[in-house]
Amino acid sequence: MKNKILNIKNLSKSYGAFKVTDEIAIDLNFNEIHALIGPNGAGKSTLIKQIVGSVKHDIGSIVLDQEDITDLNDVERAKIGISRTFQVSSIIPKFSALDNIILSLLDKSKETFQLFKSIRKNKELVSKAKKILKEIELSDKSHILASELSHGERRKLEVGLALAMDPKVFLFDEPMAGLDESGTKMMINLFKKIKTNSPILLIEHDMDAVFALADRVSVINYGKIVATGTVDQIRSNVLVRDVYLGYEI
Amino acid sequence: MIIEKFFNKWIMFFLILIPTFGVIFDEPYFITLATKVVILGIAGIGLNLALGYCGLISLGHAAFFGIGGYITGILSFHALNDEMLFSWPVVVSGSSEMLIIWPIAILVSALFSFIIGLLSLRTSGVYFIMITLAFAQMLYFFSISWPNYGGEDGLSIYMRNSFPMLNTMDPISFYIISLFWLLFSIFISLRLINSPFGMSFQAIKQNEERVKSVGIETFKVKLLVFVISGTITGLAGSLYTDLNRFVSPTVLDWHTSGEIMVFVILGGMARLYGPLVGAAFFIALEQTLGSYTENWQFWLGLILILVILYARSGILGLFDKKLKHEK
Repeated sequence: MKNKILNIKNLSKSYGAFKVTDEIAIDLNFNEIHALIGPNGAGKSTLIKQIVGSVKHDIGSIVLDQEDITDLNDVERAKIGISRTFQVSSIIPKFSALDNIILSLLDKSKETFQLFKSIRKNKELVSKAKKILKEIELSDKSHILASELSHGERRKLEVGLALAMDPKVFLFDEPMAGLDESGTKMMINLFKKIKTNSPILLIEHDMDAVFALADRVSVINYGKIVATGTVDQIRSNVLVRDVYLGYEI
Repeated sequence: MIIEKFFNKWIMFFLILIPTFGVIFDEPYFITLATKVVILGIAGIGLNLALGYCGLISLGHAAFFGIGGYITGILSFHALNDEMLFSWPVVVSGSSEMLIIWPIAILVSALFSFIIGLLSLRTSGVYFIMITLAFAQMLYFFSISWPNYGGEDGLSIYMRNSFPMLNTMDPISFYIISLFWLLFSIFISLRLINSPFGMSFQAIKQNEERVKSVGIETFKVKLLVFVISGTITGLAGSLYTDLNRFVSPTVLDWHTSGEIMVFVILGGMARLYGPLVGAAFFIALEQTLGSYTENWQFWLGLILILVILYARSGILGLFDKKLKHEK
């Protein structure tokens, strides 16, 4: 238990008779990337939404860093250290890339309710934001409107927004979707680096990336976790091959 | 943006020169008209913070405009009649001093904005529109049925409230006072929209879910914007009562909310000078078309339709050639 930063037990959510997540139990250790894979519609993104608090679960508990956060709302969970990316890029379209990152830094630096101080003159915030843009290789796009970034650049910006929060855990929902080879490589290196500070629960369809990154993999199907193990264990699991991977892996 | 900034400077230059025009052409009515534009511009600047920058479509800003107006009217009425406002638990008399009336009007408008915001911001979209409208209408009907202060007929205060060393009955003096508050409102809005807080509420307008996900308490941010917005509009209401030396339930009616919204949309939402330009355009239209036909609002409606269809950034947007690259 002491080794776990995030511990989810018995998490269930139904829409009528349809169980989107069914008694999910999953945890995240320190310094770990735990990948969550499964077919489309298996309940991966809904699980993320329940963890961040944007979708209310029916039963179950969520413990973050030994604190029960089950009854906290989405903003409180974000404040306490859960940072996420969205499956479909969710950015502030009319803000520049730099301003998107600055926005993400505001709460942590307790600047949100600074009413009359110019944000441009806050050198510390601007410098932190520029550092993050450099990490996600978007320095040259810092003053471009987020809506004018390419799909891959938006995915990177999403990750930058999560990084800026300096959270206890990251929940990344398909961060590599639509990235080119160099973008994927950059993400893999970045995730390997940041997991030592904040472990990552990763939803990803790019199996090469998953197998290159994950310390553990859980497979979800019809809202249930059907297997959890190391990459090798998952690769050789017959049930997993049946429901998701296929026999060519 | 550059052209728009240039245009804004000309607006300010023009506003400062208006008293000179009034004196040269011996047209005090022209100054009174300009004062009306300035005051309604302040009301629009207030609404613009909530509507233009934060996306809060409030149809209840007449409530704050009316509260500011009635506070001024009531305090002045009691002062002129030498009557107590309250005699229990403490004795409070009326006042005809602007320096006393303004803080009270501001505080009461802020308090009402806080209460209305606290309840209405729990909803969104069409429900928010309806609940803000309902609050304003409640106050409207309350004012109609309040005979102490004129009920449906309204309340006349005969003389403008006083300001040290200025004759407020002089149109130029009162114009200068109103212009000061306009500049102050623009200054406050400018500081706010460039602050971290401003960044938060402008982001909420675009993607509230994302703002929540980075740990920003969007409810508190929206509430504070709503209160500041309502307070500025309340201040405008106070000045408006002094301008007309009269306040009636009309200022609380939903038509007033609609008119303030029209100033913002016509001039350009989320543009600092937009509501002022919108108010000027509205008054100019009222004065020019109104002298030809009683149905001048038909033409206003037509223009509004054209603005919404073809110039969504409002009149000022027409001067902004770099809109797409601007934050």
